[in-house]
Amino acid sequence: MITGNGITKTFRQRGDVLGGREVRALRGVDFAIPRGGAASFIGESGCGKTTLGRIIAGLETYDEGEIGIDGTSMSPLTPKQRQPHFRKIQMIHQDPYSALNPTRTVHQTLGAPLALRARQTGRSRQWMDERAAEVLSLVGLDPGTVLSRYPHQLSGGMRQRVVIARALTVDPEMLVADEAVSMIDVSLRLGILALLKDLRERLGVSVLFITHDVATARYIGDDGELYVIYRGQVVERGPVDTVIADPVHPYTQSLLSAIPVLHGLERPGEQPVVPLESLDESQPDTGCLFARRCPFRSGRCESERPALGATRGVPQEHACFHPERRSVIARPMSGV
Amino acid sequence: MAHPATAQAPGVRIDGLTVVYRTPAGELPAVRDVSLTLEPGSITGIVGESGSGKSTLALSLLNAVQPPGRIAAGSVEIDGLGDVARFEGERLRKARGAHIGYVFQAAQNSLNPLKTVGKQLLDLGRSHGVDDLRGLVREARELLGRMGLDGARVLDSHQHELSGGMRQRVGIMLALVLNAHLVVLDEPTTALDMITQANILRIVREVHAERGLTTLVITHDIGVVAEVADRLAVMYGGRLVEQGPTREVLGAPSHPYTRGLITAIPRLTGDIDEARALPGRPPTLVTVPKEGCVFRERCALRMDVCDTDDPAAAEHGARVVACHAVKVREHA
Repeated sequence: MITGNGITKTFRQRGDVLGGREVRALRGVDFAIPRGGAASFIGESGCGKTTLGRIIAGLETYDEGEIGIDGTSMSPLTPKQRQPHFRKIQMIHQDPYSALNPTRTVHQTLGAPLALRARQTGRSRQWMDERAAEVLSLVGLDPGTVLSRYPHQLSGGMRQRVVIARALTVDPEMLVADEAVSMIDVSLRLGILALLKDLRERLGVSVLFITHDVATARYIGDDGELYVIYRGQVVERGPVDTVIADPVHPYTQSLLSAIPVLHGLERPGEQPVVPLESLDESQPDTGCLFARRCPFRSGRCESERPALGATRGVPQEHACFHPERRSVIARPMSGV
Repeated sequence: MAHPATAQAPGVRIDGLTVVYRTPAGELPAVRDVSLTLEPGSITGIVGESGSGKSTLALSLLNAVQPPGRIAAGSVEIDGLGDVARFEGERLRKARGAHIGYVFQAAQNSLNPLKTVGKQLLDLGRSHGVDDLRGLVREARELLGRMGLDGARVLDSHQHELSGGMRQRVGIMLALVLNAHLVVLDEPTTALDMITQANILRIVREVHAERGLTTLVITHDIGVVAEVADRLAVMYGGRLVEQGPTREVLGAPSHPYTRGLITAIPRLTGDIDEARALPGRPPTLVTVPKEGCVFRERCALRMDVCDTDDPAAAEHGARVVACHAVKVREHA
């Protein structure tokens, strides 16, 4: 179980004479991802989802709050003490082209983490080779043909599989996939998504999926939880299919309304929500963070910030004073 | 289409176009024997994965394929201009910009980081011999305003001061400001967020109608084409495998690749297990089959003839499809 309580992070840019600029990347985020479970963070770039993923993977510090890994709190530990805990959480980056060292064969890429593990557990070279072949098979690659290859000899989809295989060498408890398919060819994306789902089922590894493409979040499993993040705050949270089919926060509704409709195959939702475009980047921090762009805001929204919580009759948590169901997503046309 | 400006929208006829790249293995075709007509005032979307030849085809419209590539055969007839595949030097340079606007892939990064947008606009005007630079700036400001931006502020900005969506709009402004009526958008929304993408696509549709353009959109994302294009063309391995009215193609795809591509898109509703990845992977310049159908390695309908004969593009009503299996079905 990986948990977060009140995670806060502010980036301070050192500025010119006028002083620095502060970016509040995360404003008290709570989450819990059970062992073998799945969660997706969705939102636009700059919403804080990647920062949160990096904090969970131990690649970024946080200012306030608490990360717990299998019941152990990370905050009191020294960086060195945290290391073995965070090693259970492995990051899969967006760009499989830069994630692999171009001068190393797949064998060498997998060999480095395996050698470390072999030293720690007193295993042999032969164990290393067997394990390398095993993780490649797990990700659907043929060890015989791939082991001696360099990254430039592999397609984007194969590289991403090698990246996932490398993550598996340390027997992780959770994979954090940050836009892991956005640079992969369309016809191959589903294969990578299916692989992540398959690894959940076969190895019991949990998956945290970070994306701006809501539809892909459905592929990690229908038991997964969706966290919709806006300007560092979780604004809606619940089971994937509930939040997608019945969103109540106007920001979630805006995101879902923006997904292209395959006209001819689907009919658009009847009540699409188009956010008011705000040209001013420096929006005030008082009130609801989405109020300035929200077509449904009231006076209260501009002065008071709604907290994430439940209301009667709504199965998911939301942070909105005026939650209302709207039909925003495209549905398949009947008879097709 | 009733807009008076449509009279200026040019038609484009690409006929038998082949573009080859010189490689250690000899000259290999990135685009092979492609014929495609862009009707005046229409938006056409070309969909393809990496290596499909879609960007090479788009560059051919400007006759801008760079060595080691070259147009080896075919013609690109643009109304009011002629066959640009034969243009050279000054004549070609004038045609670009003045008649054909090009919004480059990742327009976010195609601006000069050292110059303000306004300075780059003036450079563009001078290089095309615009006398009335004041008028050019006025036009640019209006276009930016039309796209929801503060024109004066954007012209005073450097690239790093603009968001991705703003840069994309600057790219569209620079493509249109010399009054081009044929516009090519190469991956107009890649790397943009969903809401920004929806905004840009709406702007593309509106500006297209208001200014009376003929527009070509190149993308890997069928959703983008579905939102903006009247006509959809699908490329694979340098070949145009299917084209037709967007809604028809999406509703009832004919070519097995088109069908596979649509099935591979994750959707928001329905049974998620119905979506399936296509087996295999797209060919590269080097691995694309020299003879026979380019798609056969990944095709569920593969027949013996597919190994030896490259299927010719055949018309089926409003649809053009290059597939032996589709032909068999039609005649059955």
